[in-house]
Amino acid sequence: MNNIKIKNIFNENLIDLNMNAINKKEAIEVLTEHLYHEGYIINKDIFIKDVYFRENEGQTGLGNHVAIPHGKSDAVKITSIAFGRTQNDLVWESPDNKPVHVVILFAVRNVDKTTVHLKLLSQVAMALADDDTLDKLLVTNSKVEIIELLSQEMNKS
Amino acid sequence: MKGVKKMNIVGIAACTSGIAHTYIAKEKLIKAGVALGHNISIETQGTIGIEDKLTKEKIAAADVVIIAADIKVNGMDRFINKKIVEVPTSIVIKSPKGLINKIQTELGLT
Repeated sequence: MNNIKIKNIFNENLIDLNMNAINKKEAIEVLTEHLYHEGYIINKDIFIKDVYFRENEGQTGLGNHVAIPHGKSDAVKITSIAFGRTQNDLVWESPDNKPVHVVILFAVRNVDKTTVHLKLLSQVAMALADDDTLDKLLVTNSKVEIIELLSQEMNKS
Repeated sequence: MKGVKKMNIVGIAACTSGIAHTYIAKEKLIKAGVALGHNISIETQGTIGIEDKLTKEKIAAADVVIIAADIKVNGMDRFINKKIVEVPTSIVIKSPKGLINKIQTELGLT
């Protein structure tokens, strides 16, 4: 089952369906706190600085109200992702200029001993190429379904 | 589809950090290409290295090469004498079908 694979980088404790964030900065901070709490990152300030380094290189909004900020950082202990959703309209640079409601934060180790986790992240990214998947991520209240949606590409390999 | 020629498309996807957009762009191009009835193969050049490397046969048969990249890609010397279209990954993520249709029209491959 694909759940075994995705558990290396993601779990229900890293899903927040009611983020209080009112802007991009707060959303990144909330999700960073979850990653820190779960032990995936060791320093929040350094990690957030590295997330913003990537933000400045180009837009991380995907359109359809979804954004995927990512930080490649020495502060990351284990390559992983955190999922957040809010009813608030987050202003975010996106190809369709729509406000963002779903934020999927990728935390990536600067140096990984193996490519296993990076491969899993690339499979999460591939799942996000599907517009139906994005639509479901915006509405489902099932954390199990969110994990299944993000890991659907792992079934194919 | 009536009157629309099937194209053979190859391409490369690559983004600045090589973690996410590379793979989203690849998937979007493949989904759009298949939905429009074309043959399409996309190589990714990401942090984990090159995957789905384009074969010589596919490159030889290609009507067009799509480079969806925000950085310089490796192996451009494989596409000598090929029609090459270079776009940022954001264009592919926003409108993959629109891009492929536009390429087809502009190259007169309809």
